[in-house]
Amino acid sequence: MAKKRYAIVLDASKCLNCKACTVACKLENDVPVGQETYRIWVTENRLHGNFPNLTQTFQPSQCQHCENTPCASVCPTNATYKTEEGVVLVDYDKCVLCKACMTACPYDARFVDEHLAAVEKCTMCYHRLPDRDPACVETCPTKVRVFGDINDPESKASKLLAKNSYYRLKPSVNTRPRLFYVD
Amino acid sequence: MGKGQLSLSRRKFLQVSGAAASSVAAGGLLNTVKATASEHSITNSSGNKEKFVPSACAMCVNKCGLVAHVVDGRIEKLNPNHKFFKSRSMLCARGNAGAAEPYNPDRLKKPLLRVGKRGEGKWKEISWEEAYKLAAERLAELKQKYKNRSSVAFVSTEGFQEEFFNMLSTSYGSTNTVRHPTLCLASVIQGWSSVFGTYPDADLTEADFVLMLGANRAESFVTPDTIDFQKSMPKKQTLVYVDPRFTATAAKSDKWYAIKPGTDLAFVLALINVIVTENWYDENFVNENTHGFEDLIKHVKLYTPEWAEKECEIPADEIRWVARQYAKYAPRSVIYPGRRTSWYVNDVYFRRACAILTAITGCWDEPGGVIPKSSIPLAKHDGALYPFYDMVKPRIDVSRESSINHLIPNDERAKKGLPQDSCAYLSEKDGSWIVFRDSVLKSDPYPVKGMFIFKQNPVEAVPNREKTLKMLQQMEFICTIDIQMSDTAWYSDLILPESTYLERWDPCHSLSGIWPIVVARQPVIEPIFDTKSMKEITAGIVNEMLKIPSLWDDCWESDVKSFKETVVKPILNQPTEKFIEHQLSKYPGAYEMMLKEGVFYIDDTAKYGKTKKKDFRYKTKTGKIEIYNVRYEDDGLSPLPVYASPSQPKPNEFRMILGRHAWNTHSGTQNNEYLHEIEPENAVWINDKRAFELGIMDGDYVYVKSSVGEQKIKAKVTRKIRPDCIFYTHGFGRLSKGLSLVYKTGASQSAILEDYVDSISGNAAMHETFVEIRKA
Repeated sequence: MAKKRYAIVLDASKCLNCKACTVACKLENDVPVGQETYRIWVTENRLHGNFPNLTQTFQPSQCQHCENTPCASVCPTNATYKTEEGVVLVDYDKCVLCKACMTACPYDARFVDEHLAAVEKCTMCYHRLPDRDPACVETCPTKVRVFGDINDPESKASKLLAKNSYYRLKPSVNTRPRLFYVD
Repeated sequence: MGKGQLSLSRRKFLQVSGAAASSVAAGGLLNTVKATASEHSITNSSGNKEKFVPSACAMCVNKCGLVAHVVDGRIEKLNPNHKFFKSRSMLCARGNAGAAEPYNPDRLKKPLLRVGKRGEGKWKEISWEEAYKLAAERLAELKQKYKNRSSVAFVSTEGFQEEFFNMLSTSYGSTNTVRHPTLCLASVIQGWSSVFGTYPDADLTEADFVLMLGANRAESFVTPDTIDFQKSMPKKQTLVYVDPRFTATAAKSDKWYAIKPGTDLAFVLALINVIVTENWYDENFVNENTHGFEDLIKHVKLYTPEWAEKECEIPADEIRWVARQYAKYAPRSVIYPGRRTSWYVNDVYFRRACAILTAITGCWDEPGGVIPKSSIPLAKHDGALYPFYDMVKPRIDVSRESSINHLIPNDERAKKGLPQDSCAYLSEKDGSWIVFRDSVLKSDPYPVKGMFIFKQNPVEAVPNREKTLKMLQQMEFICTIDIQMSDTAWYSDLILPESTYLERWDPCHSLSGIWPIVVARQPVIEPIFDTKSMKEITAGIVNEMLKIPSLWDDCWESDVKSFKETVVKPILNQPTEKFIEHQLSKYPGAYEMMLKEGVFYIDDTAKYGKTKKKDFRYKTKTGKIEIYNVRYEDDGLSPLPVYASPSQPKPNEFRMILGRHAWNTHSGTQNNEYLHEIEPENAVWINDKRAFELGIMDGDYVYVKSSVGEQKIKAKVTRKIRPDCIFYTHGFGRLSKGLSLVYKTGASQSAILEDYVDSISGNAAMHETFVEIRKA
């Protein structure tokens, strides 16, 4: 069997901007609270139109787990690396806090955790995989995110990608994210 | 939460954490839940004792199933319980943040006795034995002094342990129990019940057309509706949303109407007008099931879309479109009943109109319509016998002598079908907060001088904070039971610290609805501080009360004896597990299922059609669906929903409207650091054009002033709100120094809101306050 390719497929149209995922992420991964550091977040996109003809959408986002990985390329100590399933991780012991990865990341998905004395970001809850979904996926009320192995055509994620048209963030930078947003 | 210990394992994330957690996860979540029940804990590869315990959330009223991940006796994470199908396998921001509640440094940790002046914040720690004795003695003193057990009020909000708080008030014998519904949903219950004899749910999984008026389901979570309307809705479903504010629900809707506040009834009456005049109603359903349709036809004749347009500022064509769409998809159409409906003084008539629209189109008890709730009946403690006391008077808010017309705005509505002397239909157990407080302040018709308060925080929850503080000032004894120093606790004399929902057993609750299910709580950790459950507290106080003879001199001795035998011994002095076991005793294996899986259910299918059975009788006077309410007519109310225009703010004023967010519940959760991070301080929404006229920029501080108070708050200048109203969230600008994150941060709602009452249901009318705004 081919090796696994982990991915998250998102349907942002279902997102209520309720913050369940961001709080779940913080507690699951012990992300510092009160310092506005987030591994995942929801952006309120620009409000369009004039009162009372308004529209607005929400965009949940996080580390895109790029296949072509700018953060890893610039890391001088190889602290940032990819697992065989394609999950981008940071070895906190190797991180020297040069922050080159933060500059290189086109998605602004990394931050300094003072306590760890390292740069950190979304791990796709690697410690939960493959038996349990990432915390954000599991807790979401409307199930915006679907996690899965996209090398397995039977996975829910693969089926969603087969059925829907989708886009990835900032295609122009050629990072080939593992996060797919269905239209 | 202390991060120190955890950071070490994080440092070695790859070597340790990954491996440890995946060994736990082997076999999936549900398997580990089972393992928990049989062996309680397992030792993981790093030598930590790890377990997964199913229980139920208490961060809001939905009571969602959760599974706590506990390592070495400390909660690591709360996850959704996938067997709790009512919330469709989710845990929201609050549900997740609940993991931090037991560890909050602001917790009440020991019983506290006030030693300084009220509100000064000087306390002495005392033992539980002293606390119980003191509470019992003060109850005895108040009884001797006023010769009236109703001179002590018992105030509470919903929750599993409220049942035991009620046992305390019943043991003492006061009729003055004041509960949360008249700050919330009393009017929607009254309105729908006056038509269908019940307060129903909406089936959003099957509805093809959904009309929500002010029910901001995307942000104000009600399970399963919040999830269903986005996740499980039929693909072709149309959602029409009506609200003066562009909320997240508006963002999700197919059509949003920024209705003029206070005129929703005009809009719905016009919908009924279109449906009746264009013959869209369901003739068979109406003939077979309803009473008073002919009267309705006459009644709505004048309520044309053109008339309504002038009232509610929604174009007549659009009103026709909504009515026709609604009718086209009937019976798979929903006009959503709603939850917190403490809006206007005539709210009951608006809710009645929504129910009537449902009735005439037959969108009732069919998939995709409005459905009466089903429930799984639990065994009650039928044998419980409480003493029958002589020194008891009827509820103060029912028996008051002076009129309540000063609690109703002096406009057209006051003359049209709203009682002026007293509230028409008060629930015997709930009372009416606004009228209760007013009566207590006037000692009308008798003094109330003691208060026991469980979980509720009237200082921040009840409109007109100054009045609540005055009421507290004239109390001779106030005892508050809570997990944190609420504003009400801050002004109390005795504070009893409660264990959080994660540290205690809680009895079963049968959650009624389209998908009925039962939940209970078991402790996921041991109590961290010297705290007790409400049940233990009731038992402690009652056991002390039994030692004071003067408390039992106005009832028969045999009553006291049977009280001891049927309440104290078998309920209060028994562990809660026994209580749960009894509640589930009708169902073999249910208790075991509850402990193992955190839920009990018969099956997970939707329940439709219980009113479709032959000879079904609705709980109304005629036994039919009452379009025309016979009892209302008898009681001098308008038997059909009658419209009158509300007062409007002057050109320099705004109407204050309220609403909820997904990350806070009432005034109870803002001091949780995870939720506080989402909204550290509230901000007032002001329409951008009005703000420009007032010279207010986004982020400026402004004063919001009403006739009862003034608050300083940051401005959020936005196109998302009508020019004639403002909005800000609840739970900020707090008075208690024990709520360190929100003490004097942002603005309080109760400090600004004037106190008005819907005099049919007794519900507070919280959208009737006009304010002025000026730059700070």
